[in-house]
Amino acid sequence: MARGGDNRGRLLLIILVITSLFLITLDLRGVSVIGGLKTGTQSALSPVQKFGSTVLSPVRNFFSDVIHLGRTRSEMEALREENGKLLTQLRERRSIDAQLEQLQGALDLAGKAEFKVVNARVISQGATTSFTQTITIDAGSDNGIKPNMTVINSYGLIGVVKTVYPNSSLISLTSDPSFRIGVRVAGSQQIGILSGQGTRKGVLQLLDNQSTIKVGDILVARGSVNNRPFVPGVPVGEVTSVDNAAGAVTQTADVRFFANFSAISIVSVVLKGPDADPRDSLIPVKPMPTPVPTVTVFVTPSQSPSPNSSGTD
Amino acid sequence: MSTRKISLSALLFLVVYVVQEAFVTQLHIGGGGFSLFLIFALLWAALSTPDIGALTGFVAGFLIDLSQSTNGAVGQWTFVLILVGFGISYLGLGYENVRMNPFTITLLVTGSVVVARVLYVLLTLLLGEEVGSFISIITSLFIGALWSAAIVPILMPLVARAYDFIDDSRHRL
Repeated sequence: MARGGDNRGRLLLIILVITSLFLITLDLRGVSVIGGLKTGTQSALSPVQKFGSTVLSPVRNFFSDVIHLGRTRSEMEALREENGKLLTQLRERRSIDAQLEQLQGALDLAGKAEFKVVNARVISQGATTSFTQTITIDAGSDNGIKPNMTVINSYGLIGVVKTVYPNSSLISLTSDPSFRIGVRVAGSQQIGILSGQGTRKGVLQLLDNQSTIKVGDILVARGSVNNRPFVPGVPVGEVTSVDNAAGAVTQTADVRFFANFSAISIVSVVLKGPDADPRDSLIPVKPMPTPVPTVTVFVTPSQSPSPNSSGTD
Repeated sequence: MSTRKISLSALLFLVVYVVQEAFVTQLHIGGGGFSLFLIFALLWAALSTPDIGALTGFVAGFLIDLSQSTNGAVGQWTFVLILVGFGISYLGLGYENVRMNPFTITLLVTGSVVVARVLYVLLTLLLGEEVGSFISIITSLFIGALWSAAIVPILMPLVARAYDFIDDSRHRL
């Protein structure tokens, strides 16, 4: 390859590298100038992001839908006819209705648990430049949001407030690899630690080696001191498989989070938790099969006619 | 570099950065999607001399560090993109068959996106932060590379034209 530059070029490279290392050091030491720069950037970009969110709302899930096309082909076939009718009716209002539905669900959950919440719209979702799972919402410190507050939606726990700006907040999702939460198995009261894995699946590690867990068990948040970062009782996920390795000290299990992180548009930030632990009262009720009415018909065989009943004698 | 070049380049970088933050991050693209700004910056560096490549990496990295979706320490992306920006421009320097060939530029930029992200993960690990499971990282890198390979040929003519206009040079990409 070609010779790349003279001494001046090398000097520039060294200066730039040293500057970047200096920036890393300053940030890790918590120098407020760096934090202020980031806050300033976010404050400046927040209105543009809100505009982008509004403009792209109708096509937001286009790429996701395309990718999952094969997986849901059979389901789509069944829904196509129904979807055609709905599209005609809801073309203009689909986006708003979806947000309204999520908002209603979140409010139902918050109302049931007696949480004081502030609702917010998701204005940005993650980035390829970061391996973390985050979303940005359009409510911030001006709305009473502080770091380490619980974030929920209609399905349960979404994440926790990581950074707060005046008009927006960065939320670390439960699927984030660095996310850890103390959970309780509904019913049995066993406790464990649930870790995010970067996908919709998390890993639960029980704390007690005498405890056992089974597929289908529901996990709820254990809660933190003063309800921060986690308010108690919020549904988190369901156990999908259990690892019964003989050498393991405690049991581990795979957990599927209730929330679908790729389709979040409305969330609620819990400003104030309940006075009393709601225990298992927030767990979503499993859909009950609709009873199908059955009709039982009893048929009594009539007496067989005798050969002489024809009156031909 | 003249004031005209610096101001026009800065404006262009700012516009692409805002587009990335306001619009591209809104699209729920599978597997983490792509970073338009990262691809743009590396394409720009690929067309530049090593000095400008490193400087481009510094500016682009610093802007990415300021993004609200970047959770790492400020300076991490700056450090990574200085090295990658210098590297990508150094590799093509003096070899017109590399720099003027759309295929090799696509390969170079796509490879650089992967290298930059791998370096970022390694730096994150060195700083003691969590980066997720090995499988999720590999998947994200692979999908990111595919997206980059798809985006670079679309973006390349536009970036080359903009570069020629600002630099008063002539690339035949």
